[in-house]
Amino acid sequence: MGKRVLLAPLDPVHDIGLKMIKRGLDEAQHETILLPPDLPPEEIVREIVDKKVDTVLLSRTLGYGVAEVLAKFVDLADAAGVREKVTLGIGGMAIRPELAAELGFDAGFGPGTTVEQAVAFVEGRELSTEGVQVKKTKQDMTAGYSYQYRHSNIGSLLEVISKMILAWVENKTSPGVERAKVRDELWDINRWLNRQENKEFMAEYPKLCGEIPRKYYETGELHPKTRRFTPEEVKGLERYLEDVKARMSVQKLQHTRKKPIVFNQYGTGCPYLDIGHVQVSEAWGADGVVHFDPSWGARTEGFLDGFLTHQEDGTVITPANLNRIHGALQESTLWQVRAHRGLNTPETVVLAGKIGADLTKINFCYGALGAGTDPERLLVDAYHSMKYAIKYNMPFDVVTNEELCGVPAYKAFAGMLIVADLAVRLGAKPILQPLFCYSPEVMISGQMEDNYIDFNAAKIFALRSIVDAPIWPGAPIGFLTHSEDRVQSSMTTALHACLASALEVDAISIASSDEAYSGGPISVPSKIDTLRATMEGFRFFGQAGIAPTKKAEEWSQDIVAGIEKVLQEVLQTGDFVQAIYAGLLGSREEGAYPGRAGRGTVTTI
Amino acid sequence: MPSKTLDRVMDALDLETFLVCSNAEEGKNLILSLMQELGFQDVDVVFIQHEGPGVRVRARAYVHRSGDKYGWLGVDDHVKEVNHG
Repeated sequence: MGKRVLLAPLDPVHDIGLKMIKRGLDEAQHETILLPPDLPPEEIVREIVDKKVDTVLLSRTLGYGVAEVLAKFVDLADAAGVREKVTLGIGGMAIRPELAAELGFDAGFGPGTTVEQAVAFVEGRELSTEGVQVKKTKQDMTAGYSYQYRHSNIGSLLEVISKMILAWVENKTSPGVERAKVRDELWDINRWLNRQENKEFMAEYPKLCGEIPRKYYETGELHPKTRRFTPEEVKGLERYLEDVKARMSVQKLQHTRKKPIVFNQYGTGCPYLDIGHVQVSEAWGADGVVHFDPSWGARTEGFLDGFLTHQEDGTVITPANLNRIHGALQESTLWQVRAHRGLNTPETVVLAGKIGADLTKINFCYGALGAGTDPERLLVDAYHSMKYAIKYNMPFDVVTNEELCGVPAYKAFAGMLIVADLAVRLGAKPILQPLFCYSPEVMISGQMEDNYIDFNAAKIFALRSIVDAPIWPGAPIGFLTHSEDRVQSSMTTALHACLASALEVDAISIASSDEAYSGGPISVPSKIDTLRATMEGFRFFGQAGIAPTKKAEEWSQDIVAGIEKVLQEVLQTGDFVQAIYAGLLGSREEGAYPGRAGRGTVTTI
Repeated sequence: MPSKTLDRVMDALDLETFLVCSNAEEGKNLILSLMQELGFQDVDVVFIQHEGPGVRVRARAYVHRSGDKYGWLGVDDHVKEVNHG
């Protein structure tokens, strides 16, 4: 049976919330009377008496004198003899539920109250939260892409380069490849999970490791910046996880759109803090998270074992660390374990695949030019990594962060397309990852003097004109537009996210608002800042678009022409590794230096 | 909370953080306790949002509200009384 409800603002002007609630009550077949703003409390009380209403909903937005106004209203309602006859609720920006209760209201609704909650109050029922909880499912961003070339000449050039690489790599191996093979064939994860020994694995694995892991396996000595968790700490984590699991909730960032999927990177050094950070990211709407390892881990042959914390950036990859983090994830969260650049690239893919990662990250060009691994070694390792990515059903992004070293986009993209083409030929699902940022190239050449839209849009237009493949700008978007100020930093992230959304890319990786701060690890509030800003940005634009200027199309054509030229030059060398050394995919003058880690470790079978 | 440095705060001091807790109510009590432990009396919660692991919260301590004697003017009470007298 419908209720008779009086709605009255106790404010000079603000009654938007009450109007929205009125609409909800009308739709729910209640009879509503909405009074205008700025009526004195005496007049509102008179209306309650005259109209014989069941429920009164008041609102108050202004904070000044709120307690006095509310107290006076309740006194007047008492004096008029209606307080006991009506259900009295108050809501609004200035309302705190405890204040309302203290003053004798039946309910007080603070900021963020929904129409559904107000209707439930009028109807005298508890609001079920079931219906409003966000349910997410894991998404495959590679679904529906054909990987067919739209630019036939670039497709043809890539085919020949891939064949050249395949011919070079097929009879070569490295310690990284051998360790991955042992991890793949001899490390039984079920035995490991049941705390049983993997004797065959342990007989082979340490022999293939460098000094740090070998010492660990022989003497138990750990890397100096790491330590094991104590049993008490482990129990504490398990209690924490149980508590959070019981109250976990997640938000959806994209408003009315389905894309882009939003990723957040983590890698505090400590798996406990990582779990804390990941869960907060999930709660505030991140759809995926990226595991970020320490830089020394990429230069060390082999992995340690055990549940370890690390005192610096980057979380040590061990089976136990990955497994604990994986176990704490929401079912819907995409988990990427990046493997793209170091001496453990193929083994990382195997380990991540066995433990349950959804995605990995492989790029032998960036990994050799921007992150310090010998090109020959990384090419062999990446080739095998791709094969394991196929085996463990993990798509991977092909990041182009060599742009941050100073390599022009067209060269970085040529490298990305070479990696992607080889991957597709092997049967993998690569995802193109252009930088969406204020890169050194544009600082020098001026393509972003007017705006940050055109050149980023040009990159997407260029890639789409070449191939039908998923695109995941990163990493993170807005790099080098961030400052240490959280408002500025959150805003620039949100704007880049909205541009990415308007361009209908498949995913983005976003920074935290302290991305530019170099004095310590990223903090959880800073993660929330950019997630909230991104959510608001998506809410602001909805399905509306962003229009680049004609420069975007011009620059897109320049990028495509540059890629084509680079691919022709690579082909002319007749040797892909030599092409890297020759600087065709990024030269020393531009800031790209072929890495040295693992040099001389490739052997012919 | 007598402090010469706090005198320089024009109006309010905000403290923002993330607290691990079960709900917004618990989070609010925690942040108000923290502000009081830090020595602030005139405190409120400007913003609080609870999701899963805890609350993102912005607490405020007013150092100078409108109508107060502003420490950053560098005028002590004696001088003010003389001037106003």
